[in-house]
Amino acid sequence: MVDWKDGQLERKRQLKVFDATAGFPESRRQSLVDRITRHAEPYLYTAPALILIVTIMLAPLVLGLSYAFRDVHLLNPFSGGYVGLDHFRTLYDDDNFYRALRNTLWWTGASVFLQFVFGLILALLLDRPFAGRAVAQALVFLPWAVPTFLTGLNWAWLFNPVIGPLPHWLYALGLMSEPANILSNPQFAMWGPIIANVWWGIPFFAITLLAALQAIPRDLYEAAAIDGAGAIRRFTSITLPFLAPTIAITVLLRTVWISNFADLIIVMTSGGPADRTQIVASYIFTQAFRALDFGYASAIALVLLVLLLAYSMLIVMLRQVLMDRA
Amino acid sequence: MASIDIRNVRKNFGIVSVLHGVDLSIKNGEFVVLVGPSGCGKSTLLRMIAGLEEVTEGEIRIDGKRVNERAPKDRDIAMVFQSYALYPHMNVAENMSYGLRIRKAAREKITAAVSNAARKLELQPLLARRPKALSGGQRQRVAMGRAIVRQPKAFLFDEPLSNLDARLREQMRAEIKKLHRDLGATSIYVTHDQIEAMTLADRIVAMHEGVVQQVGSPLELYDRPANLFVAGFIGSPAMNFLSARYEVSGETAGARLPDGTLIALSSAYQLEEGAAVTLGIRPEHVEMSPASEGSLRATVDLIEPTGFGIILHLGLHGLPFNVFTLDRAALTAGPTVTVAFPPQHLHLFDETGKRALESSLQKGKG
Repeated sequence: MVDWKDGQLERKRQLKVFDATAGFPESRRQSLVDRITRHAEPYLYTAPALILIVTIMLAPLVLGLSYAFRDVHLLNPFSGGYVGLDHFRTLYDDDNFYRALRNTLWWTGASVFLQFVFGLILALLLDRPFAGRAVAQALVFLPWAVPTFLTGLNWAWLFNPVIGPLPHWLYALGLMSEPANILSNPQFAMWGPIIANVWWGIPFFAITLLAALQAIPRDLYEAAAIDGAGAIRRFTSITLPFLAPTIAITVLLRTVWISNFADLIIVMTSGGPADRTQIVASYIFTQAFRALDFGYASAIALVLLVLLLAYSMLIVMLRQVLMDRA
Repeated sequence: MASIDIRNVRKNFGIVSVLHGVDLSIKNGEFVVLVGPSGCGKSTLLRMIAGLEEVTEGEIRIDGKRVNERAPKDRDIAMVFQSYALYPHMNVAENMSYGLRIRKAAREKITAAVSNAARKLELQPLLARRPKALSGGQRQRVAMGRAIVRQPKAFLFDEPLSNLDARLREQMRAEIKKLHRDLGATSIYVTHDQIEAMTLADRIVAMHEGVVQQVGSPLELYDRPANLFVAGFIGSPAMNFLSARYEVSGETAGARLPDGTLIALSSAYQLEEGAAVTLGIRPEHVEMSPASEGSLRATVDLIEPTGFGIILHLGLHGLPFNVFTLDRAALTAGPTVTVAFPPQHLHLFDETGKRALESSLQKGKG
């Protein structure tokens, strides 16, 4: 009987504690200001972060997007008026844009694929212990540290038959009929920036994939070896499934970056010859800073943004599926 | 099933030598436990049998055939890892059938083997789950299932129970023993837990610093430890050691403690008169008795009831000394107690730590 009573008391006491932490006032006499502050409290706490995000990320984005619906010419002081969807109508009939879109696919696809393949090979090589591995790992990272502008200049010179050795080597190998600059060859010009981009971007894949490789428990390889799996089987049934989420996310990131990445093309070919290396990003750059038509450039950028967002959603979903399986 | 022969096997990692010539022959169907503290080389030896480490010197034979140069997959053995090493992206059934699928076994044969193993290990309801959706004990079972579906020549266990909590460990220990009884497969089991070694093994191989210290049945190691290391390692709480001098006087042999007490021995030993010896006695063999000849007074430092019995931590001339007793009266033991050593339970080790040999001349009787 006594125990039961004690229990009741204990319950009552706990309830009271609960009331107090929930923050409901015992008396209803509370001023309006008090109530407003109480409700605003969580928002006030998050305000600094929200204000930062809005001013730094959202405001410029919205401003940039608004250009797409306005007539903004840098050198025309009377421009700036609202033009509705005019830019998009022009874009719809712009052959240069479609060529740039095709070039973007080619440029991005080839660059990402080659960077990934060489990066993976490099990561697998660096995953095995050998003398001087630490030094090799540091060296592999080096191209990533070279400014892209310099990378572009460097490769442009390497492809230049007057000062660079590459055309002469290609000629000696019989791959060229004369030591010419492939950057001025409409058929092959795109390969110049792609090769430079691959050289520059391999370390990113090599390092991230190496980190993922080293996170795979060694036991699994040993268990598989005992189960009877050879090297290739171990790669396909352990290494690849473990790398899949990392591969998905790195390929996604690189695809978005590279399709937005106009530096090398601007430096090496400026989109030429005859717009053969013009990608959407460099086309935006050309429209904005050569033609100074910010409105039209923003419209193209908006379309590119929508395309990349759609693509990102796809990869994020794919990654989720892979993560759930792993 | 197979016999395994290990002949003078050595292992060096660079200039560090971790196994200094191990000889061991394991009979068909035997359950052998390699036991020792961490760093004694037991896991290395197991991994060499599995083919995961190269043999620096010596020879390993499975079923009479030299396997030193064979890849793990060609040795037809199965291994259960401490971490279980389950393939996280495969479900339980796929994990268990992986080895058979690689070997391109017939589909019906795979299904039969998996469901057979699943029944033995009570895994049927879990076959479609991935390892991350399993508890530790269930993962352990899947790892065992993966080993048994292939019906290999031998099972190798590398501390398979170390990641489980105490209760589950006991349970799985019994299951492993049952499984061995049912399958009768040659098994080598590595552990640092002497209880696991005692309960599971047909034969225990006690190792220390890369050298086999003693090979024998669990009770042989318990009753007649070959040296101080085995004596101290097997048994819990651990054996007590006292330094003494060997003495023979007329018909009786004894060990003289530094304080002058003469402890009677049950037989004579092949030792010089006055040789320095170490006297060993297990805590459960010490008798608490009224003072008599050859008994010692000890101070009580600590009393640990285990429920089943009581462990008394004593101080004997300032040295720690443990007694295990079932007598609950010990719970109220005073500041000092009197202990006596039954001669038949005494172990005598010579100066080098080896078990002293009883003398063929039965000079004395304790």
